[in-house]
Amino acid sequence: MPTIGLIANPVSARDIRRIIANASNLQIADRVNIVMRVLTAAHSLGVERVLVMPDNGGIRALLQRHLSRGHSQHQKWPVVEYLDMEPTSTVEDTFQAARLMHAAGVAAIVVLGGDGTHRAVVRECRSIPIAGLSTGTNNAFPEMRESTITGMAVALYATGRLSAAQALAPNKLLDVSINEGAQRDIALVDAVISTDRYIGARALWKPEALSAAYLTFADPQAIGLSAIGGLLQPVGRRDPGGLAVQLGHHPQPAALRLLAPIAPGMVRPVAIAHWQAMPADQPFAVLQQGGVVALDGERELAFDAGDRVQITLRENAFPTVDVARCMQIAACEGLLRLPSTP
Amino acid sequence: MAGNPFPLDKPALLEAYRRMRTIREFEERLHVDFSRGDIPGFVHLYAGEEAAGVGIIGQLGDGDRIASTHRGHGHCIAKGVDPMAMMKEIYGKKGGSCGGKGGSMHIADLSKGMMGANGILGAGAPLACGAALAAKYRKKGEIAVTFVGDGASNQGTFLESLNLAAVWNLPVIFVVENNGYAESTSRDYGVAVDSYVDRAAGFGLPGVTVDGTDFFAVHEAAGEIIQRARTGGGPALLECKMVRFHGHFEGDAQTYRASGELDDIRANHDCLKKFAAAVTGAGVVGADELASIDRAVLDLIELAVVQAKAAPLPTAADLTTDVYVSY
Amino acid sequence: MARKISMKQAINEALDQEMTRDPLVIMMGEDIVGGAGGNGEMDAWGGVLGVTKGLYAKHGDRLLDTPLSESAYIGAAIGAAACGMRPVAELMFIDFMGVCFDQIYNQAAKFRYMFGGKAETPVVIRAMVGAGFRAAAQHSQMLTPLFTHIPGLKVVCPSTPYDTKGLLIQSIRDNDPVIFCEHKNLYGFEGEVPEASYTIPFGEAAIVREGKSVSIVTYGLMVHRALEAAAALAKEGIEAEIVDLRTLSPLDIDTVIESVEKTGHLVCVDEANPRCSIAADISAQVVQAAFKALRGPIQMVTAPHTPVPFSPVLEDLYIPSVAQIGAAVRRALAGGSH
Repeated sequence: MPTIGLIANPVSARDIRRIIANASNLQIADRVNIVMRVLTAAHSLGVERVLVMPDNGGIRALLQRHLSRGHSQHQKWPVVEYLDMEPTSTVEDTFQAARLMHAAGVAAIVVLGGDGTHRAVVRECRSIPIAGLSTGTNNAFPEMRESTITGMAVALYATGRLSAAQALAPNKLLDVSINEGAQRDIALVDAVISTDRYIGARALWKPEALSAAYLTFADPQAIGLSAIGGLLQPVGRRDPGGLAVQLGHHPQPAALRLLAPIAPGMVRPVAIAHWQAMPADQPFAVLQQGGVVALDGERELAFDAGDRVQITLRENAFPTVDVARCMQIAACEGLLRLPSTP
Repeated sequence: MAGNPFPLDKPALLEAYRRMRTIREFEERLHVDFSRGDIPGFVHLYAGEEAAGVGIIGQLGDGDRIASTHRGHGHCIAKGVDPMAMMKEIYGKKGGSCGGKGGSMHIADLSKGMMGANGILGAGAPLACGAALAAKYRKKGEIAVTFVGDGASNQGTFLESLNLAAVWNLPVIFVVENNGYAESTSRDYGVAVDSYVDRAAGFGLPGVTVDGTDFFAVHEAAGEIIQRARTGGGPALLECKMVRFHGHFEGDAQTYRASGELDDIRANHDCLKKFAAAVTGAGVVGADELASIDRAVLDLIELAVVQAKAAPLPTAADLTTDVYVSY
Repeated sequence: MARKISMKQAINEALDQEMTRDPLVIMMGEDIVGGAGGNGEMDAWGGVLGVTKGLYAKHGDRLLDTPLSESAYIGAAIGAAACGMRPVAELMFIDFMGVCFDQIYNQAAKFRYMFGGKAETPVVIRAMVGAGFRAAAQHSQMLTPLFTHIPGLKVVCPSTPYDTKGLLIQSIRDNDPVIFCEHKNLYGFEGEVPEASYTIPFGEAAIVREGKSVSIVTYGLMVHRALEAAAALAKEGIEAEIVDLRTLSPLDIDTVIESVEKTGHLVCVDEANPRCSIAADISAQVVQAAFKALRGPIQMVTAPHTPVPFSPVLEDLYIPSVAQIGAAVRRALAGGSH
């Protein structure tokens, strides 16, 4: 039975960038609407079962209210099953959900969240293709896309009407290692070194506290810290390699200053010391002694002076569902045409 | 390990710990004494919620006002209300914060900007709007903070206050202490959409959700919101997800909780343990320094109880005083 | 010869003079300025019946129009009072108290007592009371008994422009929460009012007519009905003494008792509904304190135990009439029968 997974993060887009910038707040009610659109669209193309990450942040409770109203003539959806896990309201929930979905062998995972949520899924589940929907603050990684179409594309792949070669795209990531693997993590878009040494409210927005940024891709149309690269030397998602940027604060002098949209509505000058291409599989050693590595915009790994932090870019590291290509092929090959009589 | 990675210096960290520990031991002692029948009336304990109260109120001055809930001991202590006077008040004695005439649910100290614990849920929100309005006229950058629970966030007073604060651009902060229960009713039942940030968004107010058991997360988010309010940036909402260690009131058998839930809360979501681990783990504070604070706090609480029990009762003449300033 | 102004003008003047004198006095209410946020004239209304018109031009942003949310803004006025301001909030119709009553009776009224004498809540809540405007059940009530019942509140209900100005200034200077009741049907009533600022103490009733046959104790609009009834009774040789209570809390029961000791007969006239009314309250207090002075049973003239009807003919039957007051006096003098 074609089964997909769905991980919807209730706490993305809830942090302090609502206060210090004009970051959007996507209401729980709207996130649930997005989920419903994915469910009904996927069902209409043959997905019969969806495994959903449970949460205590309001999505499950409201989704249940919707689902308990039952099917109508306008709306039908697959069987919705919640994973057997106890939510902790931390990123651990996303890790756990990804592991369980991997074990359950879902065909694909639809993710609602920002960069951090997508990172968490990929960290625990590299082999299953993900289809991202941006409901976070930065959304450099997931696409801004109508969820109905994502549901359709994922369903076409999950039911086998599109092959992996047709439906999936390869993606880069960054391997982050402290002290030769004593701590490991990944980033999908950016690993940024901050001089702040505590995790606190997690979000990173003060440019004076940044010392380096390592980017898998650098899109001039993105916001967030990857915009620093995107506006220096753009690198596409499917281009080889990434970009390593040393930010200019003492002791490194600035070579130039760059205006970059580092948070929603926030365009700030950032001092740049130096930047270079970052080829795949070549470890870059972090120069800063003591600080925090922020992964995809959130402070995650603290390290002390003397710790050895290395960042290595990997190509073809994990697959995503290429929704645009899926729909294009579906149109050209008539995959959505039905016989004239039912 | 070198230096202090936290945004508070060591004295401030110790002070934060001291305030949180004072709240914890005050409440835990009341829990014990109440079960022995020593305390009249109702008490509603804040144990487990300290990081939110201190993380926010610790950044306020005497000129800033707070309006509290029925579960107000933590807010009082965080705001600098004298615990000795509080204990006498809870025992209904003369020398209590309110002369024995208010009790646990109505402890107030206007000299410290504490506008009172309140037995009417949601009533503090309009009052805090008024305090913020007064602060606006005074032009000294002072603000007001009002606390509500997940349940009281359904009260009309709260929702009306969000709108009023937005319309008048008041320097008021709405803190939702979301501990998951309105008395015995889970928020999954009683709150149509479990997001208070979304409610604020409906009135055009920005909001942030933080882990209320993480002192540093609360401190950072609250700091930005407070600063914004002080400088004319207007109202905002801070949702603190937290846990309460005890029942709604003392004597509540808490059969509405899942089995093992309370043990799990104490083991895994104790904000004081988390704070202690963070500051000792970073080498900024020694475990012995915290232990020394613990002992001093226990001594203070013991003294407060002894003095409360020994304090005189109000007299019949006290019954009819202070209804009016003059009549 | 002092000039004559209406009660409405007296209110406006009292507010203006106090706001000029004390920068801590602020005002808030729905449409008290009017026109806020629109494209037309600011101060378009100056209150739904124009009572506060012109104050905005003089005092600017110390007058705040409010959104339609009584519990929020009445509560805000109370909170601001507790923090040192002297707000005058308008509850447009006293009938709206239901949506904000908690802030008034559980918060403002009780702060001083609950907080052991350390709180002062100098808030004035002005509200229109009374029937006769054909405004129907939810805009015409005389809810003075509900507020009078609450310890911690003061309740004022003047009957003349002179009393209105002096009592309103007193209310604003008073350090306790005051419910200041303005009878909407007296807004246009004119009387002599000094131009200077003056106060009238609370807890002092006024003898508006002296007499020795019967004491009619009343307040608000009913004072005028009683005066009309007294004029008619005088032709029958009955000289009614009329005691205008002016403030219901604190209550000047001593003046009432003195009057009853002089006349021996008491008629209480109250526009409120009969159960637990001011009339019932006065009657019981007089019986307890001055039973021996009474030479006959007390009569109470009140509205009936019904909501205020809309149809003018019914509303006119609802409000205690001159004839009903006269009949009550005759019953009182005749020992209570017929």
